[in-house]
Amino acid sequence: MTTLTSDRVEADLDPAAFMAQAEAAGWGDGLPLIPPTEERVREHVDASGRPPDDVVAVLETVATRFTVEKIAVNAVMAGTRPATMPLLCAAIEAMTDPSQELSGLNATTAPVVSALFVNGPIRHRLHVPFAGGCFGGEAGPGPAIGRALRLVMRNVAGQRIGTTSESVFGQPARVTGIVVGEFEERSPWAPLAERRGVPGDAVTAYAAMGTANILDMVAATGADVLEVIGKSVAYLGTNAFVPQAVLAEVAIAINPTWAMEIVGRDFPDIRDVQELIWRHASLPVGWFPAHFHPDLEEWGRIKPDGRVHLVSSPEDVIVFVCGGNGGLHATFMQCFSGTLAATRSVRSPA
Amino acid sequence: MSKGIVLDPTVGGAKSSLSNDRPHASFGLGSLRGRVLGIRGDELWRSWDWVVNEWRSALESEGARVVFWRSAGNRAGKEAERVDRELQAFLDEVDVVVSGLANCGSCTMWTVHDALAGADRGMPAVAVATEQFRGLAQALTARGGHPDLPLQILPYPLETQDEPDVRVVARSAYADLLGTLGVAR
Repeated sequence: MTTLTSDRVEADLDPAAFMAQAEAAGWGDGLPLIPPTEERVREHVDASGRPPDDVVAVLETVATRFTVEKIAVNAVMAGTRPATMPLLCAAIEAMTDPSQELSGLNATTAPVVSALFVNGPIRHRLHVPFAGGCFGGEAGPGPAIGRALRLVMRNVAGQRIGTTSESVFGQPARVTGIVVGEFEERSPWAPLAERRGVPGDAVTAYAAMGTANILDMVAATGADVLEVIGKSVAYLGTNAFVPQAVLAEVAIAINPTWAMEIVGRDFPDIRDVQELIWRHASLPVGWFPAHFHPDLEEWGRIKPDGRVHLVSSPEDVIVFVCGGNGGLHATFMQCFSGTLAATRSVRSPA
Repeated sequence: MSKGIVLDPTVGGAKSSLSNDRPHASFGLGSLRGRVLGIRGDELWRSWDWVVNEWRSALESEGARVVFWRSAGNRAGKEAERVDRELQAFLDEVDVVVSGLANCGSCTMWTVHDALAGADRGMPAVAVATEQFRGLAQALTARGGHPDLPLQILPYPLETQDEPDVRVVARSAYADLLGTLGVAR
């Protein structure tokens, strides 16, 4: 039988009583928790296909090891199903990739959270939301999966407001995470993870400052849509416009109607989509207040045409398809500058 | 009401399983003459540049050779590897580290990280933080296995102050810095 090594704690398993005890112990996030009994944790560990002491990732900067067992304990508390364990482990691998700079994300004053974009058949097996209401509102497992990872951040990586996190405002996704699939069946382009070199079941971690909506009710061409998207994501106060932010990305979710009927029709090559958004996602240097100018010049952010681009190159524009068929909207997520997205394969249990 | 046993979801926050927990060197430097003192800067805080400028002159007048290294704010992917190589080269060159500036969440993490990198080598290391980020810096030094790593605290907010005022702050904090380093005057 699998040996679990976590400390055993006597608890009252009544939901309200357990929540009170867990909150007192500093384990919780303010929402009800499922008691992580040995039986439940063991079921999650077994579903991972890995031994409980398997180290999924190490975050050297804050000396943290993420083991399968600790991920499982937190996953139980968050209310995920055991079958999510391979995805959770892959997500931790992606989130701890050095390109994500997770220790900085956890400490920062910013409201950033690791958003997870899921590709492959696993979306269907786990019912990861990718259609209408996918970023929140669909009664699916997305919030529980996201919450499991947020609890891992609290209880394993030690991210706690006022102690190891200086987040000034935070955001709701610091509790429930952001977990969406790509609507691959309604996309004219290859899946995001495949474009990033990881075909099949995969998860991409992206340091998101939250979600924001873009609306266009009249655009009829791909160029129109992409101009609106590009100009909408380029606003002054975003991290990527900090002059020193030479590493930055922007993630954009395009609804399947726009993707299939308008943008994909006019731009079947995703690189053209990225290029056009990148071109529009810029501001004239004169738009920046004077105190920005010396640093913009020092950091080479001003292009010969006098514009400052949100991100360095079209490759830094991350585009994927999800959402309902009602069209009209895109969702974008500004990044926490100094980080880059990371993609990992989701390994199915043997 | 039913009693049962649950598993603890947390891990110990200490670095015990990942480091040797070596104590940092004694800070009784006595004199700075002949010492190579490394100051770690960053790309974000002009106020820290002004403080460093003040301290550098004063430290050099005490007989120290001061080496300045400016850490990049972008420490992800290949850029992180490059910055880490720079950090190691910086540490190779110095025998005392003053690392700043912990003046935001992620910069506190990296300021402490780079100070700890010096402490892990056994050299005297000080992290410089503004008052707002003292608690985070303390939590991170403890988590990094060096709960006694000294912090030099500067007032907050610092970045919004004019240069002359920041220079006054730097000069008034200089004696504390020498005290932390154990420099006799």
